[in-house]
Amino acid sequence: MSNLRGKVAIVGIGEVPTGRFPDTAAIYHAIESARLAIKDAGINKDDIDFVMPTAALFSLPFNTELVTCRIIEELGLKNARTNCQIFAGGSSGSCFLKLGGSLITAGIAKCVLCVHAERLGSGVTAQGGIDLFSTAGISPEWEVPFGQHYSSIAALATTRYQYETGCTDEQMAAVCVSNRKWAELNPNARFRTPLTVEEVLSSKMLSTPLRAKESNMLFDGGSALILTSSERARDVTEKPVYFLGEGSRVTHFVFSQEPDITRYGWAGAARDAFNEADLTPKDIDIAEIYDSYPIFQVIGFEELGFCERGEAGTIHLRGDTWPGGRIPTTTNGGMLSQGHTGAGGGVALVVEAARQLMGKARERQVPGARFAVETGTGGTYMDAHVSILGNEVP
Amino acid sequence: MDKPVKPVPIVNEWARPFWEATRQHKLIIQKCADCGKHIFYPRICCPHCFSDRVNWVESSGKGTVYSFTIVESNPPSAFIGDLPYVIALVRLEEGVQMLSNIVECELHQISCDMPVQVTFEKLNEDFTLPKFRPI
Repeated sequence: MSNLRGKVAIVGIGEVPTGRFPDTAAIYHAIESARLAIKDAGINKDDIDFVMPTAALFSLPFNTELVTCRIIEELGLKNARTNCQIFAGGSSGSCFLKLGGSLITAGIAKCVLCVHAERLGSGVTAQGGIDLFSTAGISPEWEVPFGQHYSSIAALATTRYQYETGCTDEQMAAVCVSNRKWAELNPNARFRTPLTVEEVLSSKMLSTPLRAKESNMLFDGGSALILTSSERARDVTEKPVYFLGEGSRVTHFVFSQEPDITRYGWAGAARDAFNEADLTPKDIDIAEIYDSYPIFQVIGFEELGFCERGEAGTIHLRGDTWPGGRIPTTTNGGMLSQGHTGAGGGVALVVEAARQLMGKARERQVPGARFAVETGTGGTYMDAHVSILGNEVP
Repeated sequence: MDKPVKPVPIVNEWARPFWEATRQHKLIIQKCADCGKHIFYPRICCPHCFSDRVNWVESSGKGTVYSFTIVESNPPSAFIGDLPYVIALVRLEEGVQMLSNIVECELHQISCDMPVQVTFEKLNEDFTLPKFRPI
């Protein structure tokens, strides 16, 4: 919970398609996303005074370029005074909002460009990706020697959640179907063909009960957003997207140390965010829930208060979360269908929340949307970040 | 192609007694001399009360399966030869949790909250891993 409510706003967004682009330089995903965000905001590039890239995992030399001001030089941002990397894994997008917002309200920055770029799709092999993510964020002393990796982590959470709530495999698979329905309408998504529960359930078993089509896949991509004060935002655009509230919790580093793998810190984080925004889940028009695997979208959806525990699967199955549904959820298709781009999966959800609230989501626009919630979580679901955005300050 | 070498624990020096004990088929965990709570994994100070008086005690080695998964495909390279294998989160009687593998049992008989007992598997000359089997 902060004192940023209504004081800062997103005024521009940019994004490049998610996929495998072996012939495209990684920096392109960063600078093209940034260029699109600056154009979208309608500001002069020289209004940007603070550049905040998040980290890329596929290559240390590329990440070093992000750290050492390449974006500023490539785009000729001559009034940019600071370039500083912000990285919290999948929570990086949520952290952009609270850290960029704090710099603006403190008077350190006027206009912050937040950027993500990654090449995890073409920059590493499929097995290389599994191996990278069987060490990144996983304890080399207490978990790596036992064969832990991200699919097994999602499977452990799914097993216990299903044991405690009775949620079925079919209900869990419905999350993938729901997110795909949105991705069908998203030109930047990697997977756009219709998907059925039967197809999910008949895909290869990875780690019981998790199947291949319930796993995200790693891709190249990039996205960007521009933050400024609400006062300046109203001069720049007719539809600023205001930052209304935030909350977060950290519950573990080593996955096995998580006290409740079916809940994490979402309830407390959400309580803080909704209190700050002075809103309740009933006021929310769109839920952009972090979805690297279906179980985490289910848990986030429930713990934020959109339904009772154990009901999220049914709600995704019967269409409440689909286009035209009662509570449109993860409307870019999420990591399960737009594709996972490392820290970018969370950044893309912030960008999508802003896109919807700006009324720029075209075919998948949720009509009349005023308030959206966005969630991010990093590492092995070590933290829970909840942000509330709106195109008005209630 | 050479078979990938199994990853060995990258040991923090304050955890060295734990790995020395597993070589002797003993499961030891820490206990805080001030607040009395058990601690796993090993820390330089008690994560509950911040005391630096943390001692080693032997665990009963008994616990229950908090959750589990049978890894059937797409594991890390070094584990491809082990398929299928079981990863489990075990809650020890002393109230601490650890990740391990369930061994010496029919894979599809494993369930949440099933009682298990520690057993030891030699990884190489330097390391023996604590694993669990149904009681």
